[in-house]
Amino acid sequence: MNGISQSGMSNLLMQLYDNSTEAIFFFNSDDSVLSMNKAAEKILDPQVSELMKAGNTEAICMACKGFTSTEEEQTCISCYMSNPNLDIPSFQVFLETAGRGVVPYTGSIQMIDSEKGIRAFMLRDLTPQFKTSETLHQKTLVKRVIKAQEDERKRISRELHDSVAQEMLSSLVDLRVLKYMNVEEDVLKKVKQTEGSLMRLLDDIRHLSVQLRPATLDDLGLEAAFRTHFKWVEKNYGLLVYFNSDIRSKRFEGEIETVVYRVCQEAVFNALKYAEIEEIHVNLTLTSGELKLIVSDEGVGFDVNAPTYKGTGLGLFGMNERAELVDAALSVQSEIGNGTTIVLTVPLMKEETEVENHNRG
Amino acid sequence: MESHVAFNYQQQVEQIRNQMQCDFVALALVQSEDRHFQIRWEYASGNISQRFKRIVLQSGKGVAGIVFKTGKPIFAPVAHEYCEKDNLYNYPIILAEQLESFAAVPLFKYNRVKGIVIAGCRSKGCMSEEKFKLLKSLVAPTFGPYYSEELTGN
Repeated sequence: MNGISQSGMSNLLMQLYDNSTEAIFFFNSDDSVLSMNKAAEKILDPQVSELMKAGNTEAICMACKGFTSTEEEQTCISCYMSNPNLDIPSFQVFLETAGRGVVPYTGSIQMIDSEKGIRAFMLRDLTPQFKTSETLHQKTLVKRVIKAQEDERKRISRELHDSVAQEMLSSLVDLRVLKYMNVEEDVLKKVKQTEGSLMRLLDDIRHLSVQLRPATLDDLGLEAAFRTHFKWVEKNYGLLVYFNSDIRSKRFEGEIETVVYRVCQEAVFNALKYAEIEEIHVNLTLTSGELKLIVSDEGVGFDVNAPTYKGTGLGLFGMNERAELVDAALSVQSEIGNGTTIVLTVPLMKEETEVENHNRG
Repeated sequence: MESHVAFNYQQQVEQIRNQMQCDFVALALVQSEDRHFQIRWEYASGNISQRFKRIVLQSGKGVAGIVFKTGKPIFAPVAHEYCEKDNLYNYPIILAEQLESFAAVPLFKYNRVKGIVIAGCRSKGCMSEEKFKLLKSLVAPTFGPYYSEELTGN
């Protein structure tokens, strides 16, 4: 103890004991409570802490709902209190608290005075950490699901495009050959009809493949994929999309392109479904180290702070999750009667090669 | 359409809307086989936007596509129930014109569906059985060069 006196040290320890948010109990050799700090009193039910102070050796069991062993989540078998000579540096224990129900705590128990058999039992609130790790877990899970969905879509889309559509095309060619053979008029008519329906079927397969995941996105990049998609939107829904881009066919990392494409798709669909508009503006700009997507409409808008979900409400959530996949920022500005603007800002790594190596690992 | 100059589609569509007291009436025409029987809304009355003009439907898609494929009329007093809420975007004309109730009938030529007339309202439950019958009678027995029913037996 350099530079600090005995009294100074005990003063510090007293302050720690009084002001700590960790609950500290001192147990006597007979399992009665010698002393407990303010934090400990605070978390326990007042009745229980009264009993404890009165020296009731069973009081702790009224609050304790068991600890986590390798066998069970909450158990009393080989209780941490049972063996006075066993120091456990950390274990998880569930406590019935005042007003908060059963809450998990990290506990530690150790002998501090082996002659008198005095043990210190300390508790640290685990709930915030639990929440953090749960949220983290949830987010990782959602991201994995998104990725898995994207991969699966890609696979099916490729399969449809490369093998099913190709096979269909070759049978169509075979059928066309029939027309130049010496066949009767009524057969020819039927062949033509079949050719028509096969062609529609081929179109349907192609549409399906593109809808699942456009091959243009992988082959030609964002601009091309957007143009095809917006043309499709116009034809199918009569919605005009004004698309501006200054990325000059530049290619980005696959994951980034997917995120930008999907977020934009979702934003345009939202506008289409709910904004009650005829046209929408989509801007794609590239500045140093940033790729920015702006989707704006002048439709009915909504209250950002208290959105009334007309759909599942998953769209906006999904956009956020997707944005997080590439550390992008997503902002939604909207006002009732004043339209909606969605801005996605994707940070780009300076060295493209570095990015690639980083993500291959 | 130039061959049928005598028949003013726009005027007819407007007349149907007046007679039916509907918010929106439109006529879709089916294009020729070499254009894959694409369907477009060509004439409309009471539209709130120009979106209908840009919509191109394939057989089986949307209200017109279904009428074209089945050759049967559609009577949907509650649009949301007919289309199912989550599926509304598969019926672009309903979405674009915000129709709450509607009916659609086919028009035939040479025993093929060549056109589709839709009549709809933006208020709930406005399309009644009577109005549906009225719509069918308004395009019967002929509407311009089209017949209201498939001519069987020839």
